[in-house]
Amino acid sequence: MVFLLGFLARRLLQGAAIIGLVSFAVFALLRVIPGDPVRLMLGPMTPDYVVEQTARQLGLRDPLLLQYLRYMKGVMKGELGRSFTKAPSGEAVGGNLDLNRGERAKVFDLIAGTLPLTFQLAGLALVFAIIIAVPLGLLGGLHADRWPDSLALYVASVFVSVPNFWLGIMLALIFTAQLGWIPSIGYNGFVYTVLPALVIAVEIAPIVIRSLTVSVAATMQQPFVEIALLRGLSRRQVIISHVLRNSAVPVLNLFGVQLGTLLGGVLIVEYIFSYPGLGFLTVQSVLQRDFPTIQAIAMVTTSVFVLINLLVDLISAYVDRRLDY
Amino acid sequence: MKKSRRGIIKFAALGAGLLLTPQGRPLLRSAKAEGRRKIVFASAEPLTGNWDPTTHTILAQLNIEAQIFGQLVRCPMRSDNPLEIVYELATAQKITDTYTIEYTLRRDVKFHNGAEFTAGDVKATMEYASQQDKPGAFWYPGPVEVEVVDRYTARVHTNKGNFPASMMTFAAAAWPMLSAADVNDPATLRTRPNGTGPLKFVEQKGNDTILARNPDWTSGSLAFDEFVFSHIPDGTTRVLAVLSGEVDIIERLEPEQYATLSKDNRVKLTRTVANENKYMHFRCNKPPLDNVLLRKAIAYAIDRDQVAQVVGAAATPSNCYLNPAKFGYIDIPEYPRFDAAKCQELLKQAGFPKGNGLPEIEYLVSEGFYPKNKEYAEIIVAMLQEQGIPAKLTVMEVAAWLERIFQKKSTVPYADIVDVGWSTGTPEPNFILKAQFLSSKALFNGINDPEIDAIIELESKEPDIDKRREIIQTRTLPTIAEKMPSFSLFTSVLIHATRANLEGVYFYPSGAMDLSKAHYT
Repeated sequence: MVFLLGFLARRLLQGAAIIGLVSFAVFALLRVIPGDPVRLMLGPMTPDYVVEQTARQLGLRDPLLLQYLRYMKGVMKGELGRSFTKAPSGEAVGGNLDLNRGERAKVFDLIAGTLPLTFQLAGLALVFAIIIAVPLGLLGGLHADRWPDSLALYVASVFVSVPNFWLGIMLALIFTAQLGWIPSIGYNGFVYTVLPALVIAVEIAPIVIRSLTVSVAATMQQPFVEIALLRGLSRRQVIISHVLRNSAVPVLNLFGVQLGTLLGGVLIVEYIFSYPGLGFLTVQSVLQRDFPTIQAIAMVTTSVFVLINLLVDLISAYVDRRLDY
Repeated sequence: MKKSRRGIIKFAALGAGLLLTPQGRPLLRSAKAEGRRKIVFASAEPLTGNWDPTTHTILAQLNIEAQIFGQLVRCPMRSDNPLEIVYELATAQKITDTYTIEYTLRRDVKFHNGAEFTAGDVKATMEYASQQDKPGAFWYPGPVEVEVVDRYTARVHTNKGNFPASMMTFAAAAWPMLSAADVNDPATLRTRPNGTGPLKFVEQKGNDTILARNPDWTSGSLAFDEFVFSHIPDGTTRVLAVLSGEVDIIERLEPEQYATLSKDNRVKLTRTVANENKYMHFRCNKPPLDNVLLRKAIAYAIDRDQVAQVVGAAATPSNCYLNPAKFGYIDIPEYPRFDAAKCQELLKQAGFPKGNGLPEIEYLVSEGFYPKNKEYAEIIVAMLQEQGIPAKLTVMEVAAWLERIFQKKSTVPYADIVDVGWSTGTPEPNFILKAQFLSSKALFNGINDPEIDAIIELESKEPDIDKRREIIQTRTLPTIAEKMPSFSLFTSVLIHATRANLEGVYFYPSGAMDLSKAHYT
């Protein structure tokens, strides 16, 4: 238990440092790259001096470090700030003369409102990926150098080659626009998650297929497998009770790494399908230069990444008792 | 698993369960839009202005405000009658002297909150909106003072803004009318719109803004109950949405989408000559393009017909700084056409024979907003290089481009040429001429030419409409063409797609819609 607590404390401290670095990098870069959020709020025909006036009211002309410290002071109190452009309903609101910034949506509420939909999408994508990848990977590993192995390789190669934006458009074109079977543009119920999740699943499945194939094949070569069979255990028992468990650790670690691919895929897929999750909110915020929302999303996703990897390590250690902290 | 009746029944039950949602509805169902009493519009831009129309100049916001707020007059700007004025909240307008215009108002018009629309509302709106420190003051030629003659008559005085009342004839088509009570309560004004239009605001849900039919609308009765303004930023997604029936109207189709969809009988396509020209704005306050001969050389190096071909269905040829729906439009005589020999002659006169000695000229365009502008910019750069002009193309994402295109007093302007489209919702030409060519504004090109200033002031102050037209056509536009602070490449064409069974939607050249006659067949 002491070792576990020590491990957790170390990893959480590392995570906090990573989140701090990422938050500063994103904060600074937003203010350096071209794109004035105030101009986007007010529109192209607004006189320049009005744009400057509004920017000063929003504190955007203060020194970078001052802006950052002011922002982090709010974050420490649990305040992620208020959106530059969105109203509490989630739709955008800009313009100037908005001296009462209380009218703008709290960034926390925006993220809290969209995150469940993204989790739903990511969760369904993982389910689809497991349904696709595990049988293929298992069969490939159990029948190494035979046709199931080749099938797993070919399927993984095709999946990794297909661009996710193209696949998304094709699925929407065929199943939504032409056949009218599954709605997919926007969100009006759980069924709108199916096609976007399928696209993400195709993106993350290949690496799981290959890694499981290799892992299972390697485990099947282990002496304990042969000994178990000689001891009279059925092949089925050996695979389910011993091979799978031993093969799982590398695959579990892979899920932590795949989270990055998942988050990136969610961004593009939500944009293509206009799925109102965190990815779509991120794209909208970047296009509208909604600084507080972008900053908060960067911190949230970094935190999720850190926590998921921590969780993966803990589960791996539980599954394989040979691992320690 | 052994095959047995039990096994088959279990499998069938599992299969049926998978097809049902927890609410007992089928998981797989038709993807068609709900009902025929709702119209869903997919917008390329989000709403980023707040509900006070004076605090922004955002195109998408203006388009939805056109459904909610009434106006004294509207200008449909149809190609067969571009200067037609349709009376809406006003029944008549009369210029009583050089600086006064009088509006007679329609009676029994109510705001969505039930209050009656009167001359007091006109006074509150115009005096509030024309304050020059407001973003929306762009639509007013200057500050105005309004006299309430009686409950249904308002007299607008323009001498405070030093412009003739005749300029309000068309400019008023850009002014949404607000309630005086709301003008006096800005906090409420910002959070919910209260107009006299055919649709009233209900709520915003995520990326959707929902409007409902106004049953008290005095100009008619809508044939549908609900209008949803939905933000779908990706062009391909918008097309898929309209094909599947998830939305009913989409905007900003790309030319190749137009070609593909014209063969699809599920949708109807509309091309509208827009209120927008695409310009190359030369940075006239920065070398080397402070040299008028060089600017003209560049104009003669460009084959605008080829440029228009690249843009395809989204462009129509133009030889004017104004688009055809603007008051004063004319094909400018001697407007530059491609002429390589003329280009070389002008380069020589400018001191850069065959382009020798010229520094690299940077041409800034955006990507993701205007159709095909990266593609035609690439062709233009090739055309310039062919003449020996060392041009370089810089493509930026919209937000970055938007920050870089404006002239700022405190900094050297970015790039040497910027690509900008300019769309204004009325036939009033000064929203283009003053904004782009008057030295005190000159938003993009930074031109500072006393001759141009003088001729724009002359036409602005001319109260007689026919004389004003003559000045614009015979003096203002040719003078600008002679000085070449900017080069208009073509007039844009807006492409919309609607579901085939939706009739009666009229698209204004500004992109706004008239839904008063929209109905499903």
